[in-house]
Amino acid sequence: MAAIVRLSSVCRRGVKPLFYQGTLLARPLVVPHNYQEQPHQLTARIHASQALNAGSGSKAASLHWTGERVVSILLLALGPAAYFSPCPAVDYSLAAALTLHGHWGIGQILTDYVHGDAKIKIANAGLFLLSTVTFAGLCYFNYNDVGLCKAIALLWSK
Amino acid sequence: MALLLRTFARQGVCLSRQHYGVFYRHAAPMGTTAKEEMNKFWAKNNKLNRPMSPHLTIYNWSVPMMMSITFRGTGVGLSGAISAFALAALVLPGTYPHYLDLIHSLSVGPYLIGLAKFGLAFPVSFHTLNGIRHLWWDLGKGFRLPEVYRTGYTVIGLSIITSLAVAFLL
Repeated sequence: MAAIVRLSSVCRRGVKPLFYQGTLLARPLVVPHNYQEQPHQLTARIHASQALNAGSGSKAASLHWTGERVVSILLLALGPAAYFSPCPAVDYSLAAALTLHGHWGIGQILTDYVHGDAKIKIANAGLFLLSTVTFAGLCYFNYNDVGLCKAIALLWSK
Repeated sequence: MALLLRTFARQGVCLSRQHYGVFYRHAAPMGTTAKEEMNKFWAKNNKLNRPMSPHLTIYNWSVPMMMSITFRGTGVGLSGAISAFALAALVLPGTYPHYLDLIHSLSVGPYLIGLAKFGLAFPVSFHTLNGIRHLWWDLGKGFRLPEVYRTGYTVIGLSIITSLAVAFLL
């Protein structure tokens, strides 16, 4: 495939195309219809560019996604647990799961709406601070006060 | 193979024309990340001070769209409420029962209490039920449009019913 690229660079005329070096980046090729008679060669090109990337990425994003779903399901289970068997273990689990779920959720919102490297960094730092304070506050409440399960029960008893 | 080479040789002249760009990109073993491309997009458009095209004001709103943003809104709201509660626990003197008694002493009518409970229960209920719908999507199920609407209406209906039940029966 590299041979194709180099040969075509030689075939190009003029200086102008050199300015487009920035566009000579690997992208999946969009193929016009009349090239479909050689699908295996084009597939090879697409697979080749994928092979260049395979193994060079990290699984961090994928693991983050899975982690988000796991915490969501854990939080779903903690609901009935808090109702049917309130106890300190559930209180602290609830504090942790709620904070982490909220932290990751707001993180996704920031990723969607905040653009620019500096702004993203500041926003995420602020979020981290907020989540830390939230978790600290909830643990403090669990330790020094009635605890989350009891608090909701009391609130509803009115 | 020869066909490809001839095409690329021809393309040398055409490369200067941007609207052929998509078809005649050469593959080279280098690439920008999606993040870099996105940053470039925003930097360029901000620098040129381009106005944003109307989108939310002109696009026809649909039930799935409204449910999606409500899901996000309830998430932000609930998260904010939890953080506010945690901050209050750290900052305010006195214990929780003390503040509950303060609220009790306001002697509000029973229907207003029920309404307040509904106001607390509905965001939790909607966010939880739509969250389950999202997990269902994550399993790859229910993406056909009639299914999206069916599960959507189910979530809305169940949210209202469970919130009412929790507010007035518990």
